[in-house]
Amino acid sequence: MTMPETIRLQAGGLYAIWFREVKRAIRDRGQLIGGVSRPLLWVLIMGIGLNPYFRGEVYGEVRFVVPYTYLQFIFPAVIALNIMYTSIQSAVSVIWDRQFGFLREVLVSPLPRATILLGKILGGATVALFHGCLVLVLAQFADLSLSIGDIAWGLVLMALLAFGLTSLGVVIAGRIRGFEGFGVFSNAVILPLYFTSSSVFPLDPSLTSAQTAVIYPEWLTFLVRINPMTYAVDALRGAFIHFHQFDPALGPAALLAMAVVFFALALRGFARA
Amino acid sequence: MTAEPAIRIAGVSKRYGRTEALKDVSFDVGRQELFALLGPNGAGKTTLLHIICTILRPDTGSVIVGGLDALAHPTRSRRDIGVVFQEPSLDDRLTVYENLNFHGLVFGVPAALRHQRIAELLDLVELRDWRDRLVRTLSSGMKRRVEIARALIHTSKILFLDEPTAGLDAQSRERIWTYINQLRSQRDLTVVVTTHYIEEVEGCDRVCVIDHGTILALDTPAALKAAHGQQLLRIVPHDDAAAAIIAEYPDATVRPDGEIVIKSSGDSFAESFLSRHGTHIRRLSVEEPSLESVFLSLTGREIRDQAAGARERTLAFGRQGGEHTR
Repeated sequence: MTMPETIRLQAGGLYAIWFREVKRAIRDRGQLIGGVSRPLLWVLIMGIGLNPYFRGEVYGEVRFVVPYTYLQFIFPAVIALNIMYTSIQSAVSVIWDRQFGFLREVLVSPLPRATILLGKILGGATVALFHGCLVLVLAQFADLSLSIGDIAWGLVLMALLAFGLTSLGVVIAGRIRGFEGFGVFSNAVILPLYFTSSSVFPLDPSLTSAQTAVIYPEWLTFLVRINPMTYAVDALRGAFIHFHQFDPALGPAALLAMAVVFFALALRGFARA
Repeated sequence: MTAEPAIRIAGVSKRYGRTEALKDVSFDVGRQELFALLGPNGAGKTTLLHIICTILRPDTGSVIVGGLDALAHPTRSRRDIGVVFQEPSLDDRLTVYENLNFHGLVFGVPAALRHQRIAELLDLVELRDWRDRLVRTLSSGMKRRVEIARALIHTSKILFLDEPTAGLDAQSRERIWTYINQLRSQRDLTVVVTTHYIEEVEGCDRVCVIDHGTILALDTPAALKAAHGQQLLRIVPHDDAAAAIIAEYPDATVRPDGEIVIKSSGDSFAESFLSRHGTHIRRLSVEEPSLESVFLSLTGREIRDQAAGARERTLAFGRQGGEHTR
C-alpha cells in the first residue's frame, strides 16, 4: 500500500463516517426539535422568569453584585447544556450500529478502529456543536453583544466540549446494551452534571470564600468544584460575557483534559469491542 | 503462485466459555472456487467465517488469506475480502447509493472507480431504479442484493456470503444465485458461502460439511454422494419373482406395497441386476444419492427443523453480538 493510498483510505473513511453521522442527525427530526425547544425553555422561560430575582434585593439588602443579568449568566450554561444533551445522545448511534449490524460493516473495513471511532465522535460532535449554535441564535434575547472574536473563541471552546462529551457518550454506550437503558442513564449523568456546574447559580464571586461557605453548604460547593463541567461553563462565560468565577486558564485546560481523557477511554473500550 | 490457495486455514479452534465452537479446523479453498460450508444452525459456520474475516480471533491456529497472514495483518487482508453477513448490516436510514458510496469510501476506492462500480453493480443486482431510495423502504430480498453489490465495490478477491438466501422466498433465492454465478464468470472471484439449504450446495465446487465445530467431510458434491450417499434400486417385481430376488439380495427390504428396495453398490449394479431379473420385473427406478442423505448419514440428523439445543442457542446469541463474544 503506497502512501497516497493510505491517506485516501484514512481521509475518505473518516469523511464517510463523519458525514454519515451528520446525515443521520439531519434526518432525525426528533433530535432537532429537542435541540430547538430546550434552549427556548431555558433562555426564554427560565431565564426571563428568574431574571428579576438575580441581582435582586432580598428584604432591601443588596447581597449579590454580579454585573450581569441572570439571562446573561445562564446563557453560556444553556449552550453547554444543549451540547451536553446532543453529544451524549449521539452515542445512541453507537448502540444503534451494534444492534442493527452496521458496526460489522465498518469493522470488516480496512480502517483502523481509532479512525472509525474518531469519525464517529467528530460526527456526533459536529451535530452537538450545531445544537450549541442554535442557542447562540438567541443571544439577542439575552442582551449579549458579541464580537467576532468572542464568537470564534466561543466556537473553539464549544467544539472542544462537544468532542469531550461525545467521547463520554461513547464510553457510556459501551457499557450499556439497549436503548432504554441509555436514555435513563444519560439523563442520570447529564442533569446532575449540569446542575452542579454552577450553571444556574454562581458560587458567588462577589463574596469571599468564607462568605460563600456560609451561604452554600460545604457539600454543594465541593460538588461544584470537582465537576469538570463547572470549568467548561466558566470558559464559555469567559468567551461570551467576559466573566470568570475561576482562574481563566482553568476552563480551557479542563475542556482539553476532558477531550483527551474521554477519547482515550472511548478508544480503549472500542478497541476491545 | 497458481498453486497458492485463496484461503488456508490450519488448526483453528475457538471456544466461548465452556462451549467449543470450533475444534481444530483445517482446510484450503482454491482460487476461483465456489466453496460451501454446510451445517445446521450453531454448527460453527458463522464463527469460522468471522474468524476468516478477522472480526473474531481464533484461540489457536492460523488463517492465510490470499497468501497473507490474516491474523497478523487484519486490516491489510480485509481489503481483499467482501462480506455479506447473515444479519442485515445496511444503514436503513441512508439511501441505497449512500450505503454503497460509504462502503467505497471506507475501503479507499478512488472516486471515479467508485462511481463506475456502483453503477455496474446496481445494474447487476437490478436495483438501478432504487438507487436513491432509503434502504428501509426495500424488501429483505432487495436489501440482500444491495449487500452483495456492496461487498464487491472494492477489489475483493474473495466473497463471503453468510446464509445469503436465508429467509428469502424461492424467487429471490434463485436470483441471488444467478448474480453469484454471473459475478464468477466476470471477475477473478473466490466465493465462500454458508448455507443450510442443501439444494443450493449442489452447484458448488466443493462442500465442507461441518457440525459441532468439526469438519465431517469435505469434497465435491458428487464425491460426497459417492462416499456417503446411497444409491437405491426400487423394484416392483412380478408376483412370482419376488421370492427369488429377495433370496438373492439379503439386505433388500420389502415395503408393504410389495416394492423391493435394494442398496446399490454402484452404477454397474443396476445393469447386472437387469441382466438377471430384467424379465421378471414390472418397474424399476434408480434413486440417486442426494446430499440430503449424505448429511443424514454424516450427522445423524436432518439439516432442518431440529430444535436448537442449549449450545446452538448460545452460539446464535453470540452471532447477534452477544456479550460473551465481544
